Amino acid sequence: MNGLFADIGMLLRPRLLPVLRRGRSRRSRGGTTRLAMLGAVGAAFWCGLFVASWRVLRYFKGIEDIGDILAFKLLSMILIVCFALLLFSSILTCLSTLYLSRDLLLVHSSPVPAHRIFLARWIDSAADSGWMVILFTLPVFLAYGIVFAAGPGYYAATLLSLIVLAAIASALSALAVMAGVMLVPAGRMRSIVVILGVLLFVTLYLAIRLSRPEQLVNPEVFDTVMAYVASLQAPVSPLLPSTWAYDSIQSALAGFTARSFFHTALGASFAVTLICVLTLAADALYFKGFSRTQTASVRLVRRDGISERLFRFLPGPARSFTVKEIKTFLRDQTQWSQLFLIAALVVIYIYNFAALPLERSPIQTAYLQNLFSFLNMALALFVLTAVTARFAYPAVSLEREAFWLVKTSPVPLRTFLRIKFFIYYLPLLVLTEVLIVATNLLLQVTPFMMALSTVTVFFTVPGIVAMGIGLGAAFPDFKAENPAQTVTSFGGLVFMIACALYIGVVVLLEAGPVYRIFMADLHGRDLPVAVWLWAAAAFGAAFTLSLLAIVLSLRFGEKRLSKVHI
Amino acid sequence: MIELTQLTKIYNGFTAVDRLSLRVDRGEIFGFIGPNGAGKTTTIKMLGGVLAPTAGSVVVGGIDLQAEPERAKRKIGFIPDRPYLYEKLTGLEFLRFTADIYGVPVSEFQPKATASLEKFALADWSNELIESYSHGMKQRLIMAAAVLHDPEVLIVDEPMVGLDPLAIIMVKKLFRQLAADGVTIFMSTHTLKIAEDICDRIGIISRGRLIANGTAADLRREANATEADLEQVFLNLTANVPAPE
Repeated sequence: MNGLFADIGMLLRPRLLPVLRRGRSRRSRGGTTRLAMLGAVGAAFWCGLFVASWRVLRYFKGIEDIGDILAFKLLSMILIVCFALLLFSSILTCLSTLYLSRDLLLVHSSPVPAHRIFLARWIDSAADSGWMVILFTLPVFLAYGIVFAAGPGYYAATLLSLIVLAAIASALSALAVMAGVMLVPAGRMRSIVVILGVLLFVTLYLAIRLSRPEQLVNPEVFDTVMAYVASLQAPVSPLLPSTWAYDSIQSALAGFTARSFFHTALGASFAVTLICVLTLAADALYFKGFSRTQTASVRLVRRDGISERLFRFLPGPARSFTVKEIKTFLRDQTQWSQLFLIAALVVIYIYNFAALPLERSPIQTAYLQNLFSFLNMALALFVLTAVTARFAYPAVSLEREAFWLVKTSPVPLRTFLRIKFFIYYLPLLVLTEVLIVATNLLLQVTPFMMALSTVTVFFTVPGIVAMGIGLGAAFPDFKAENPAQTVTSFGGLVFMIACALYIGVVVLLEAGPVYRIFMADLHGRDLPVAVWLWAAAAFGAAFTLSLLAIVLSLRFGEKRLSKVHI
Repeated sequence: MIELTQLTKIYNGFTAVDRLSLRVDRGEIFGFIGPNGAGKTTTIKMLGGVLAPTAGSVVVGGIDLQAEPERAKRKIGFIPDRPYLYEKLTGLEFLRFTADIYGVPVSEFQPKATASLEKFALADWSNELIESYSHGMKQRLIMAAAVLHDPEVLIVDEPMVGLDPLAIIMVKKLFRQLAADGVTIFMSTHTLKIAEDICDRIGIISRGRLIANGTAADLRREANATEADLEQVFLNLTANVPAPE
């Protein structure tokens, strides 16, 4: 037994030491500001979540008869979602940690039994996939504790229940991954899981959206609400680990410590049993699965040459990078899930506008339609920011360690960044214009608003894409295992903040004159010269800002990228 | 063809390359040897335009690499020690990518690529994704790509790492042939035997400084080890080199 723990400790040490030594090394000292900034954003999000949860629960508490039922139903739903999130993130983390990590070759060459290697990696993976879900659900549970005036036993039971839930989710995921890898190569399995996850999310979202939950606040369908309340009290399956966590937390909230302890112990005993089963399964399957991962993957599609023919008109360097970018994108199956996600996003976005109950609004419809159109412009640009963050921001990091090819080539970094910019600018412009035009048509806005939003978007999209490429180049991570996730780094945060500011300033600059022009148009009044001048100055400033966003971001990226050592 | 003048690289106060001055003529194969951490790869990276020097200059074919990097890089073929490539391209697509970047005419590409793939024993794999290649195959593909645009200078970092004996023989022949055709080769290596076999001149670098430079016979004389093999010469010369100030 001592040997087991010693081996696991030894195998975990290389993963723990960099975390413990953070701040001591020369390189990470400069990162204190980054850490502080990320910490501040995390803390703000945490506090926001706490305040929102506290207000919702206070509101529930104030509703007679069904207040507590609603609060407990919400708790049960939170735990089910938590469990689902933990399962999904554990599958992805398990695949990476157990089968795809670069250090696995070294680890497997060490004289340690396979099940011990497995256990060490599994602990690592469970901690990796669980900490964030636990950390960011804590404010919700804290709000429950405060609103229900729970004692210290509640907080201990909640923390313990969440840890047990994370362990169970991770163990179940590891078992599923171990079995799955015997059938499908690990790399491909990750893509399948991501695609399935995205499809599941979209289906669930559309199902909820199509059921029009906003109708529940309409008094005309009150009978349905009563039926809904009755359904709230329907029991959840007692076989779900999230139900044990719910029972434990709910008992602790109500002050039944012994009952709470029983349900926590139920979960914990299941977790321990699962770990024993995992260890036995690992001895039989883990190494076999790992060996299968070492074999080369087979190409699914072999039809080639289309991109070369399509971009023949471009000059040499531009053609080479464009063709390379498109081919590597389409052949990387992890990107496919993102395309699904974007398609779903477009459908959901447009559907939401189609479902707006404008006709029931007490405010004048024409005014409301055009107000929504103006706000929609900002919303579409925020959607664009999210898509840019996922695709354009990691574009430079996606060169990975092959970036030496760019550095040694006779193509200046400026040209390289411009090529990257245009590769992403055109599709993202089409996407945003489609969103804007389709939603404006659904809103039946005036021609002025239609022209304003399409033109504003036309000039703002390049600014956002340039910021994505430029800041992605300024903060590249060529060694990241998954460069697509580099947007969660400090540079990604800077990009998000810069985009939010940029969109905010453009909207603010345009809001005043647009309101005056629109109201004059609505009432058939002539506009004074001063308003025309104001409008010209505001639109001119927004246009200049967009030009600056393009030029300065790309220059900043070029300057920083030229100093990067590879 | 290659001229390094007072070339210096300092990383966070650590001098990796210290005032290195050197000249390599057209058609010459220059071997660059030294212990681990001596500054070989840093020098190679500065020569390839991957790394900017802290001081000094690199002139390739009469063009200053810092003043006109694009023009100078057109004359260079660069082969790094680790074969990082675009894994989702096929071997043939990677060659086309390189050809487009270096401005190889479209009409010349196909015959050149076919010949190159044959020469480097990659013809059967040309339509497979690079991610399925072995280390040695990737290394051979990089070599095929580096010579595709007929460079005047070849910068090579550890050329034989990961290659099988057959490929090593082929690469040695190729380098000699290229040098005979007037290509200048600047090559770093740990394998002293290879340096002795194919290099016209050998430079030894230690702690960032060039401590010896000449033919194998010159180095033996300098190390007072006329009968010894190059390994002994290397040990004699690199022992007790003081750290840079």
